[in-house]
Amino acid sequence: MTKTYTPAEPIWCAGCGDFGVQGALERSLIDLNIAKHDVMILAGIGCSGTLQNNVGTYGYHALHGRVLPAATGVAFANPDLTVIAVGGDGDGFAIGAGHFVHSVKRNPNLVYIVMNNSVYGLTKGQDSPTMDSSAAEGLDSTRLALSIPGASFIARGFSRWSAQLHELTVAALEHTRAGRGFAFLEVLSPCVTYNDTYASWESMLDNLDEDPDYDPTDLSMAFSRGVALDAEGRMPAGVIYRNDGAVGKEAPPSMAGQDLNPAQHLDAYRGIMNSYAV
Amino acid sequence: MNVTTKPNAGDAAATPKRQLSDISVMVAGQGGDGSLTIASLLSAQFASRGLHLYSTSNIASRIKGGHAAAFLRASVVPTGCMGDHIDLLVAFDDEAVEMAAPNMAPDGIVVFDASKGAPPEGILADTIQVFAVPFGRLAVRDLGRDLLKNCLGFGIVSRILGIVDDAAESSLRQRFKRLPAAVVETNVEAFRIGLSHADEIGLGEGTSPWTVDEAEREEHLMIAGNEALSFGFLAAGGRFYAGYPITPASEILGWLQRHLPKYGGMAIQAEDELSAINMATGAALTGTRSMAASSGPGFVLMQEGVSQLGSAEIPLVVVDCQRAGPSTGMPTKVEQSDIGTMINGGHGDYPKVVLSPANQGDSFVIGAFATNLAQRIQGPVIIAMDRAMSQDSTTVKPFDLEGITVDNAKRLTREEVLKLEEYKRYKITDDGVSPWAVPGTPGGQNLVTGNERNEWGLVSAEPKNRNKMIDKRARKIETVRDDLPKGCRWGDAKAPIGLLGFGSAGPIIERAAIRLAEAGTDVQVLRPRTIWPVLDETIDFIRQCERVYVIEYNEAGQLAHTVSGAGAPKEKMVSLRKYDGTPFRAVDIANTVLEKEAAE
Repeated sequence: MTKTYTPAEPIWCAGCGDFGVQGALERSLIDLNIAKHDVMILAGIGCSGTLQNNVGTYGYHALHGRVLPAATGVAFANPDLTVIAVGGDGDGFAIGAGHFVHSVKRNPNLVYIVMNNSVYGLTKGQDSPTMDSSAAEGLDSTRLALSIPGASFIARGFSRWSAQLHELTVAALEHTRAGRGFAFLEVLSPCVTYNDTYASWESMLDNLDEDPDYDPTDLSMAFSRGVALDAEGRMPAGVIYRNDGAVGKEAPPSMAGQDLNPAQHLDAYRGIMNSYAV
Repeated sequence: MNVTTKPNAGDAAATPKRQLSDISVMVAGQGGDGSLTIASLLSAQFASRGLHLYSTSNIASRIKGGHAAAFLRASVVPTGCMGDHIDLLVAFDDEAVEMAAPNMAPDGIVVFDASKGAPPEGILADTIQVFAVPFGRLAVRDLGRDLLKNCLGFGIVSRILGIVDDAAESSLRQRFKRLPAAVVETNVEAFRIGLSHADEIGLGEGTSPWTVDEAEREEHLMIAGNEALSFGFLAAGGRFYAGYPITPASEILGWLQRHLPKYGGMAIQAEDELSAINMATGAALTGTRSMAASSGPGFVLMQEGVSQLGSAEIPLVVVDCQRAGPSTGMPTKVEQSDIGTMINGGHGDYPKVVLSPANQGDSFVIGAFATNLAQRIQGPVIIAMDRAMSQDSTTVKPFDLEGITVDNAKRLTREEVLKLEEYKRYKITDDGVSPWAVPGTPGGQNLVTGNERNEWGLVSAEPKNRNKMIDKRARKIETVRDDLPKGCRWGDAKAPIGLLGFGSAGPIIERAAIRLAEAGTDVQVLRPRTIWPVLDETIDFIRQCERVYVIEYNEAGQLAHTVSGAGAPKEKMVSLRKYDGTPFRAVDIANTVLEKEAAE
């Protein structure tokens, strides 16, 4: 077997929530028996944007905020790959917020895991878009996603709840690999250095996966539960919303594997040229 | 001004016919008047006579309305640009006459829609002949539709140009062949009404004041630069495109959305230019040949992405269809003021190539070449277009489709990767290019990053490694330098006076050179097709001439600065610049050169 790079050691602080995310992802890839060479992990900028170095798959370090467009390009060009985009809440909901909206709408076949710590950790503790601060209200990305037509999978995990996080990661991967589309998984992943929220978040979470009355295929229930919990100072965890997404839609062919020999298209190219003949 | 508004048959017949081998026509009115219809009818007519064509338009940046003008040049020899003067003006309103007047040939003809009154007084030279006919009013009176004034006008214009009635009618039928039969007949009827009014004003069949030469009919395409470039990209294996609508680059998005899906490809309208270049980058990472295009305002938004391509070593074609800036500028006007941005727009040191087609047809060649070159250097190849190069159409020789190749350069196959003992994405090599295993290849797993990294792709800021990596990337340009497209030359290589310019200014510069040569000035021309790196041919051209006029559409003399920065002797260069949004005219360039030479 060809020797490739040795996966890097994580750069995260001891106790960082991102360890839980990486662990869940590695376990899920094994559980689903996905070969590492068939996986591409794309990462944004920030502490979370180093995860792709640690797993041993194909990896790409995107520009700040642009992980979703890059991952969309990969997913469209090579649908045979399992495409996983990861990043932080600053990357996804501040500098890259526009792309988030359009990715949900476009529903490409990829998993997007946001490690939400409600702080800019790598740049030493500035306010993030999900943080309730004196400057602005914090954004709830799951409710944002719910409001976008085209949403097909929305879930929230918590990095301390590793069993559920693993289940959610598997579900997200399965959603995408079945051709349903964009699987959005927000993971509450505390920053122990600048915003240690393990205890406060744990007390706020309401695990929908354990609620027999909750139907994640019911969009209005998803909305109303989120709003109701928010009014109580709480928030949902688990699968918040899911549908069949793009199932049944004709998937575009793989561009990456194409034989590009121009000879095979000469007649067609001549046809194009002749349309300009005068 | 010699206005003909009533029957005075005999005048036209009395004047000897003028024979034109090169005619420039302007058709202008309010947007929606259908200026383009008459221009395209004439275009078909001239093409059937074997003439070379160039067409452009002048439109306001709005959906409908505003003043619109279509221009068409037909000539026995190819010119690749508009003429110095307008020979024939078809004016639907006073504004059209006012706009055209300064550029009207003294022996030109104006056909004026007199529905709202006589043409404006005192604007046109007395030597210009004017035929005033109320097209619009006649179209409404006889056929009940104002828009039919175009076909009516075409009847009169065809009589002026000595086009046989049957030939004119058949090109009209050809133009409207996709419309329902009844609509076609109504248009033909309008055309015939035009003919009968032509009879009344002394323009009977066979009594035309002008005739237009015929040329040997050759196989030609009539194509715009954006179309030819898109086609070149497709032919060289381009399959993924992402863009965001912007003038004058949108035609590339439209063309590729129409054609790519037929070849298993895709063109996406992204939410913004940041997304466009990063989507194209993502597709490129998989080994899919990809492209993104924009114009100045969007092209600068893409610059972080261009820098990423250079650092992370990702092949992508990035097109800048330049328009008049700065900022929102004049979106529909020609300018070449992004040269600095194309060369130095992204942050940091990274290798890049900037190419520029010599004309609309060459956009096919450059589009295909750039698509392969990006794979060879695994980095950004930028194509410098400009408003006129992008959107104007001209007749060109058919493309050499058989000559298109797909160069996979250092892409590794599955089998090649499996045979390797180890695979390093950023392996340091003599030519600076590392063998490339794309995602999905067993054993090829790698990390692609814009961070400085070691050969494995793992982040490293170690100084020695940094130097090696920067040097490796820089070497890629030297590896391909000799293969980069050479410029177009005209004239005797020993001529003391040189003219230098690129893009859509190039063909006009060549026409200026022909004028200068006719006036006895010994002159030569270089129209570079590689803007960055500056090739030796450009430096040598300037060194070998006594004086070189560097002619470009911007205020700062960006091309002049670029070539002098690369070593061309500044003292030999004279900068000729234009930035009013209108194209150069060969006559003006020639006169300026003559004046300056006389002063030397």
